[in-house]
Amino acid sequence: MTRISKILLCLTLVTLAIWQLPWCYAFLSTKAAPNRFIMYSSLLNDFIIMGYEEERGFIRQDVAGNLYTEEAVDSLLPMFYMRQLVANEAFPDTLFGVAVTPLDVQHTSFNLRIRPSAVNGPVTELYFLLESMPKRVDLQMPEDAFRFTGTGIEFITMETNSIDAAKSARFTQMLHDKGFAFPPRKVSGNPTTMKEYDNGYLLIDANGKVFHLKQTAGQPYVKALPLPENVEAEQIFLTEFRDRKLLGFLTDRRHRCFAILSDGSMTETGIPSYDPTTDDFTIIGNMFDMTVRISSPDATRYYGLSADDYSLLKSYEPAGESGQIPGLSFTSPYDRYVRPRF
Amino acid sequence: MTPVLECINLTHYYGKRKIYENLSFKVPHGRILGLLGKNGTGKTTTINILSGYLEPRSGECRIFGENINTISPATRRRIGLLLEGHVQYQFMNISQIEKFYSAFYPGQWRKEAFYELMNKLKVAPRQPILRMSNGQRSQVALGLILAQNPDLLILDDFSLGLDPGYRRLFSDYLRDYARAEEKTVFLTSHIIQDMERLIDDCIIMDYGRILTQQPVGTLLDSLRRYTCRVSGNHTPELPEEFCHPSITRGVMEFCSFLTKEKVEQILAEKKVNYSELTSERMNLEDAFIGLTGKY
Amino acid sequence: MIQAIFYKEWIKLRRYVLLALTVTVAITGYCMLRIDRAIELNGAAHIWEVMVMKDAIFIDSLKYVPLIAGILAALVQFMPEMQRKCLKLTLHLPCSQKKMLYIMSGTGALLLLLCFAADFAVMLAYLGSVLPRELVCNILSAAAPWYLAGLAAYLLTSWICLEPTWKMRIFNILIAAMIIRVYFLGHAPGAYNGFLPWLTLYTLALSLLSWLSVIRFKAGRQD
Repeated sequence: MTRISKILLCLTLVTLAIWQLPWCYAFLSTKAAPNRFIMYSSLLNDFIIMGYEEERGFIRQDVAGNLYTEEAVDSLLPMFYMRQLVANEAFPDTLFGVAVTPLDVQHTSFNLRIRPSAVNGPVTELYFLLESMPKRVDLQMPEDAFRFTGTGIEFITMETNSIDAAKSARFTQMLHDKGFAFPPRKVSGNPTTMKEYDNGYLLIDANGKVFHLKQTAGQPYVKALPLPENVEAEQIFLTEFRDRKLLGFLTDRRHRCFAILSDGSMTETGIPSYDPTTDDFTIIGNMFDMTVRISSPDATRYYGLSADDYSLLKSYEPAGESGQIPGLSFTSPYDRYVRPRF
Repeated sequence: MTPVLECINLTHYYGKRKIYENLSFKVPHGRILGLLGKNGTGKTTTINILSGYLEPRSGECRIFGENINTISPATRRRIGLLLEGHVQYQFMNISQIEKFYSAFYPGQWRKEAFYELMNKLKVAPRQPILRMSNGQRSQVALGLILAQNPDLLILDDFSLGLDPGYRRLFSDYLRDYARAEEKTVFLTSHIIQDMERLIDDCIIMDYGRILTQQPVGTLLDSLRRYTCRVSGNHTPELPEEFCHPSITRGVMEFCSFLTKEKVEQILAEKKVNYSELTSERMNLEDAFIGLTGKY
Repeated sequence: MIQAIFYKEWIKLRRYVLLALTVTVAITGYCMLRIDRAIELNGAAHIWEVMVMKDAIFIDSLKYVPLIAGILAALVQFMPEMQRKCLKLTLHLPCSQKKMLYIMSGTGALLLLLCFAADFAVMLAYLGSVLPRELVCNILSAAAPWYLAGLAAYLLTSWICLEPTWKMRIFNILIAAMIIRVYFLGHAPGAYNGFLPWLTLYTLALSLLSWLSVIRFKAGRQD
């Protein structure tokens, strides 16, 4: 037993050392990484890179290194710097031959960030289904929550913590009728009133099929969304952007990324690879283009996509930054679990 | 017959400070051995080593033939241990501590012996040991050892904190008990008067070594205190057999195992100008001081 | 003999256990009362929403309570053993020293777990009536590593307490602090779900450490 005790102590000391020493080293030696902001400009058909550079100060340049003034950047990214251009009375009337107003820009711009930690975290499997056609203008949080079971959907009245059997049966029946297989693999929604409209939930069912679920006038609305051929759905994200063009995004086993349009059809985006379990995804879009930033553990890549068909216009991969020091860690930026990992 | 307690070539250092080197002694069955030494000569160190709470630099201790480091619980049952300062669980009261210990010594526990002693203490049965006086605590610790009824008693400074009367009473009780029941006792004490009535054998330690190891009777029979008048205050160069010679107001005093004739002969050889040489028998305390010196 | 060791540990711990039980149950009760008040003031729906969407658990006041309870339990139990080296008496008893140590630690751990179980019972009894199982699970799984930390703190404090030298004790305190950090790294309920069984095994294994202190004690190590 003495030997086992000594082994335990040694293992503990070694583990603590490989956990804490790299952390100490990183804490003492790491400098702040240069923080750059990169956007795709359809007007330039290139990326504009903005940020501080040592000895050069704040720099605005394109991929080739051509420098731009602040005003030039404002007009190269008129959707993003709309308010500045309006203030300078420099906002254009038309862009690419289309008439645009600041209101249009407001209505069509969106941004979304999906962190791997949101995908890889422990999930509270309890959801809130808002009324998507509220009688009043404002959205309201429901008085019940729902959960999926192996055989159906259960609505629980929160005030009494009791199951609303009738509503549960209604929704279960509807899901059944539409061919939904319980329990779902993925459930994605934004149950909040801080949005303009409600699109309910996007679901991947037990068989990998995709469904759209919402509540309209208290009744279930369920729609099966056919997947393109050879696509095995892996992750799904409901967006609820203001322009209502999109239902959400979907990734498949091969890390392809699809846009789910409002009619339920899916179109593959020009993003070559996006793995929501490891990559940090940011999209900033407007009526003409979108800038997608995919930050994976090995590199950060930028993609300019067309707003018409989500096709790839241009991509850019900045030079890689310094690697991590090997060591043991219990937490990770990629998930919300605590467990040892190297 | 295997000695009950045996230390073989014990060597110990605290850091670089030598406590002793190659200390060996045996305590045979039924004997009461006292370890005598001034403070810091290693009495408690020895007790710690032979109760298994200190690893000596080298050497080994055996009790009932078992190495102390691997001693079995069954053998520990036969050893009564009184720690320095009569340490006992202070959070218990008398009846709790009796109940606790008795469970470990089935068949040998003498409840009456314990309560007999405790009844003389005039403490409430529910009074925790923490709130007892030093002397009372010591008596609880001693009572527990007697109730345990062990074959070997190891007592570190047993008389510490005891009233003179109780010290005497306990010494006498322990002696009679050990004699009657053939118990073996190994003890230390800094009050040597009590030891004389109690111990059969003694080991007198000095810094780093054993000065003498023999039965008390033999020691007191053979060791003599010598006094003589000398001229001058300068202590003459004398051989080692003359222990700690000192001169006060023209009188030289020393003790020695040598006979009077031999002492006279050596003093003459060393050309010491002396007169009125007397030799006296000493008690154990004087013998101890004579052998170890006053400082 | 086992009963006797248990008896001794019980004498040392009984007052503390009663206190720990009262205080931890009171704090747990206070947390439950807070949830109850919040439901009364803001409505159950609001509470459910913040629990699902903001990972709120409403028992943050409990976070370090088991840890402190564990540390104090070990101090109450093992400080009297180290006072004037009373441990010598314990180790001199005619019983296997390892067995003795394990029964001592086992008694302390058992009494501590009893306190913790009472807290969980209070939580389960109340939460089950107002919250769905998912949210009850969230709260309990957030609390689980804290309570495990309480047990680990108890075992590590015993290890530190039984260590005979101050130099090594300070080293042990630093190691123990780092070990305890591992139990407080989660920010989401359920963050430990996969790791918890392994962490539990490791926590139980921590009971081996006090034997190392006893070995050093027996060798008479000094500062």
